[in-house]
Amino acid sequence: MSEYYDEFQEEKFNTQINTTTIRRIAQLVLPYKKLLAGFMVFLALASILDATFTYLSKLMIDEGIIAGDVERLTELVFIYGVLIFVQTINVFSFITMTGTLRERINYDLHRKTFNHLQTLSLDYFNKTPIGWIMSRVTSDPNRVADFMSWGLLDASWGVLGVSISVVFMLYINWKMTIIVMCILPIIIVVAMKFRRLIIAEFRKVRRMTSYLTSVYEENITGVRVVKAFTREQKNLAEFDEKASELYHASYRAEWLSALFLPLVQLISAFALGAIIWYGGWQVRAGGMTIGDIQAFISYLVFILFPIYEMSRVYAKMQESIASAERIFSLWDTKPTISDKPEAFDPGTLRADIKFEDVDFQYDAGNPVLKDFNLYIKRGETIALVGPTGAGKSTIVKLICRFYEPTNGMIRIGGTDYTDLSLHAIHSRIGMVLQTPHLFSGTIRENIHYGRLDATDAEIEEASKLAHAHDFITALENGYDTEVGEGGSLLSVGQKQLISLARAVLADPDIFIMDEATSSVDTVTESLIQKGMETLMAGRTSLVIAHRLSTIKQADRIMVIDNGGISEMGTHADLIREKGHYYSLYTNQFREELAHQYDAVLV
Amino acid sequence: MIESKIYPALDLKKTISSNRWKGLWNLMAGLRITYFIAVISIAISALAKTLTYLIIRDFADNALAKGSNMPIYYFALAFVGLAFIEGVFTFVSGCLAALSTEKIILRLRNYLFDHIQRLPFRYHDKAQTGELIQRVSSDVDTIRLFLKDQAKEVGRISLLFGINFIALLALNVKLSLLSIIIIPFNLVLALIFFKKMGDIFEEYQKKEAILSTALQENLSGVQVVKAFARQEFEMDKFDKANNDLFMQGKRLVMMHAVYWPITDLFCIGQMLFSFYMGAMMTIQGEITLGTYLVFINLIGWIIWPMRNLGRLLADASRALVSYQRVAEIINEEQETLRNGKSPSVEMIKGDIAFNHVSFAYNNGTSVLNNVSFHAKPGQVIALVGPTGSGKTSVVRLLPRFYDYFEGNLTLDGNDLRDYAPHALRHYIGIVEQEPFLFSRSIRDNITYGVGHDVTDEEVETAAQAAAIHDVIRGMPNGYKTIVGERGVTLSGGQKQRVAIARALLKDPKILILDDSTSSVDTETEVVIQAALDKLMQGRTTFVIAHRIQTVMRADRILVLKEGQIIQEGTHHELVKENGLYQKIYGLQAKIDEEVKCEVSYTNGRFHSNGKTRE
Repeated sequence: MSEYYDEFQEEKFNTQINTTTIRRIAQLVLPYKKLLAGFMVFLALASILDATFTYLSKLMIDEGIIAGDVERLTELVFIYGVLIFVQTINVFSFITMTGTLRERINYDLHRKTFNHLQTLSLDYFNKTPIGWIMSRVTSDPNRVADFMSWGLLDASWGVLGVSISVVFMLYINWKMTIIVMCILPIIIVVAMKFRRLIIAEFRKVRRMTSYLTSVYEENITGVRVVKAFTREQKNLAEFDEKASELYHASYRAEWLSALFLPLVQLISAFALGAIIWYGGWQVRAGGMTIGDIQAFISYLVFILFPIYEMSRVYAKMQESIASAERIFSLWDTKPTISDKPEAFDPGTLRADIKFEDVDFQYDAGNPVLKDFNLYIKRGETIALVGPTGAGKSTIVKLICRFYEPTNGMIRIGGTDYTDLSLHAIHSRIGMVLQTPHLFSGTIRENIHYGRLDATDAEIEEASKLAHAHDFITALENGYDTEVGEGGSLLSVGQKQLISLARAVLADPDIFIMDEATSSVDTVTESLIQKGMETLMAGRTSLVIAHRLSTIKQADRIMVIDNGGISEMGTHADLIREKGHYYSLYTNQFREELAHQYDAVLV
Repeated sequence: MIESKIYPALDLKKTISSNRWKGLWNLMAGLRITYFIAVISIAISALAKTLTYLIIRDFADNALAKGSNMPIYYFALAFVGLAFIEGVFTFVSGCLAALSTEKIILRLRNYLFDHIQRLPFRYHDKAQTGELIQRVSSDVDTIRLFLKDQAKEVGRISLLFGINFIALLALNVKLSLLSIIIIPFNLVLALIFFKKMGDIFEEYQKKEAILSTALQENLSGVQVVKAFARQEFEMDKFDKANNDLFMQGKRLVMMHAVYWPITDLFCIGQMLFSFYMGAMMTIQGEITLGTYLVFINLIGWIIWPMRNLGRLLADASRALVSYQRVAEIINEEQETLRNGKSPSVEMIKGDIAFNHVSFAYNNGTSVLNNVSFHAKPGQVIALVGPTGSGKTSVVRLLPRFYDYFEGNLTLDGNDLRDYAPHALRHYIGIVEQEPFLFSRSIRDNITYGVGHDVTDEEVETAAQAAAIHDVIRGMPNGYKTIVGERGVTLSGGQKQRVAIARALLKDPKILILDDSTSSVDTETEVVIQAALDKLMQGRTTFVIAHRIQTVMRADRILVLKEGQIIQEGTHHELVKENGLYQKIYGLQAKIDEEVKCEVSYTNGRFHSNGKTRE
């Protein structure tokens, strides 16, 4: 089963508690020390009152009932009653404060992690699965925040409960207190050992459960194949094997945890026996009262539950620290591409672009570009063609400075572009991707993304230039149409038109487009074509081209193959050469025609 | 169904009830006794606890009375002994509840897994995968928690209350009744609050979902964010969602901050009231001091657990919703895979006839209309026609993925409906346009359809025939490479060839090919074509053809339009006929011609340009 897990596994645990991590976790709470101090105070008050209630019960027995003193009894009940109200305030206060603290820490963690992510370079996002990053921003902060608020509360409550009870017990009878305290270390050791065992088991159960879910998922998505190959019986047998494994693991985890509480109770029963024995003997001898014994029995419970709770907190603590470590590791990741100290903004990117002996590799030992040279004149349109994986989009990403050359240099207007600020480059590049990414929200909001200070009129103007206006206004809600998550409510063609409008609005100096390969209907296709022409006019443009019309219109066509330029020139040049471009072209032509004819047939 | 040593067999289909409580009860069949013993065990342990306190009465009233010489250690021993009994039975109860629950759940999981894979195509066409998985994973888990914890806990609290209250009644009726005044109030308060808190929590989860959607969009659109240098804008957007979540979180905190102190006030207030009444009665001599002591101890065991009951009931109601969602799946009808004849594959000749077959999908719109044709054993039948003309539907009827509603369809002269679907699917091999591969090793994928053990040689021979052997060998782990893991992604053409190998190894009598190679280059196309030719030998083959080369080689061509066969014949016959086929063929030919034309035009233009330059 292990073969199905990779390095980005969720449940990686470090049992060694690292002091730096602890210090960094503590720093998270530092801005809220008032909240922390507040809840500690109210919690302490609440714990003291809890213990006082028991003491009052004892007094009611000894000084009220046994003494037969109704007046004293009424007095005690009155004090008790007043204290209950005080207790209500305490509980309200510490819940409010702890809860607020939790939400604050959670908020801070979300924010800081997200903001840090924005600074990271593209390579980080390419090598890290989205799901992994998602967990660092969503579930890990929850765990850390829970631990630093409720966990801290439970732990403090435990420590306070035990120590305050012990103080009261000592006050009542110190000898008996010592006898009772003998069981404490035993219980603590048992609790910690047990918890560790139980956590390990439950972790196994969780891992297996999620594995089982993935088996379900695959069998459902592939159900048609399952049926076609009549694999039902065999699949069920396989599933049963895994599910039965889960059954055994679950059951083991369950009985282990079912053993825990009775064990603690049993150990404490010996303490209870001791109280009865020693206490009874003392009562007879007149050294203790019945109320004292009653109080001891109650305080024993006060000690027991906190220990039970603390072992739970201890279990959570390990998980939270692991979560915190993962968050911190993300914070510690430095962007691979960042501004030099003296980076500047040249004011425009309408200049020549030059690749000088550029080498590039995503992974060491796996070069994508080697000694790559290219000179793009200002305002030129270049079409990049070639097979998938040849390096077309790498060239584009290098120009955008999403990546920097491993060796060699890229110059914009003669300056090494690593001397420019990232913002200067990014804010002047317009990009339309093959599968255009839209954000959930309205069409207007998505176009607006291109330039944040644009007016509605400018947005419409841009849409008109991109030839998107007509289709948008034909929609029921026009510009206020919701695009759905990731633009899922629109077709690919519509998304492209919107992202074209977005790029037009941004008025970039350099325009980059990755044409869609998926089928777009003929009308939309010609609209996209027109929109692109608008954008390319007067700008340096690079198009990863699939459509013949785009290719033919380019000033220069580059055929990229195996990390280098295999052919370069105008359409006519390359056709004449009858090389790679020639066969690409004819294939493409065939397909486009076929596509058109299919439309005619239907 | 599968024989399991772990749980008693049960047909869950029969247990489904519209009464959800009854349905849950039925789910427990065969394991109820274990579960019942678990509940009894809690009762015993509760009883032991109560006895402990009852002993205190004797202890205080008799043993500690002046002049008594009752040996005290008896009491101490009794305490320890009772605690032991209590502990053992708590443990037994936890074990048995977990044991029976896990068995019930394993049975449910196995059933659901099998059931879903046996639901007909009609069901899967409309079902949403995500939704289905949600039901089999988290809803099943909700039921599990209900059985293991909540139901048991409700039982425990009720028994605890019952036993202790009876004990109290036995001690003093008046005092007992005075001590439970607050319980109904608490219960009502809990139900109201937790209903409301459930709503707020749901809203909180929605806000959390919004936050993670914002994140997800930011991550998947990272290039756009960077290309427009919109980091700050994104931070603001995320901050807004984050802030909303924070505010909702505070609302939730406030609910808790109000609820818990109030119920605390109620509970402690009630206890104090009872203490006071009890104390007065003791002073007045109505009850003994020992009784008072028992009383103040037992009352805590009534009041506090009852406070949790409201919350528990609110939680437990979620199990009913989950049960219903699971029951809806179980209620669906399975395919009857084994009903009918299933002659061994050697007996099958592969002679197929459609006689006036009509067919419609779920939505009722007719897809096939009065289709008739005859395919002789070993023939290659090409299906041609525009998208949506019913080509795919024709071949989907053969393995009885769907049942037609009019006309009849025969295999070797027998009605298709006389054969068990299981047998039919065994005779038929399918290679889809975009084949689904499982995230197992490539070897496991190739041997997927074979019932028996296969040697490595056989696998490699199949892979070689499908022209995929060399590609697989080139992978780091060869045939053991897990599909889809660590970036091992196969291209469309490679997947199709794995699927061809898979079909080859299955060695079917009848073959269905969805022949599309639009996404592969010319070289690969030739290789795949060769592999397909090999696959088609000696089998009755149906090809959904997209390329004229495949069509031309077919023994017979069926031209479909709008669910009807409008033309039928060989390539040579149909080319001469005036009709759709001629048009399609004409178009294909035209493409070739236009390509030539375009090239020579460009060349010509270049040439003339060249001349002018000269």
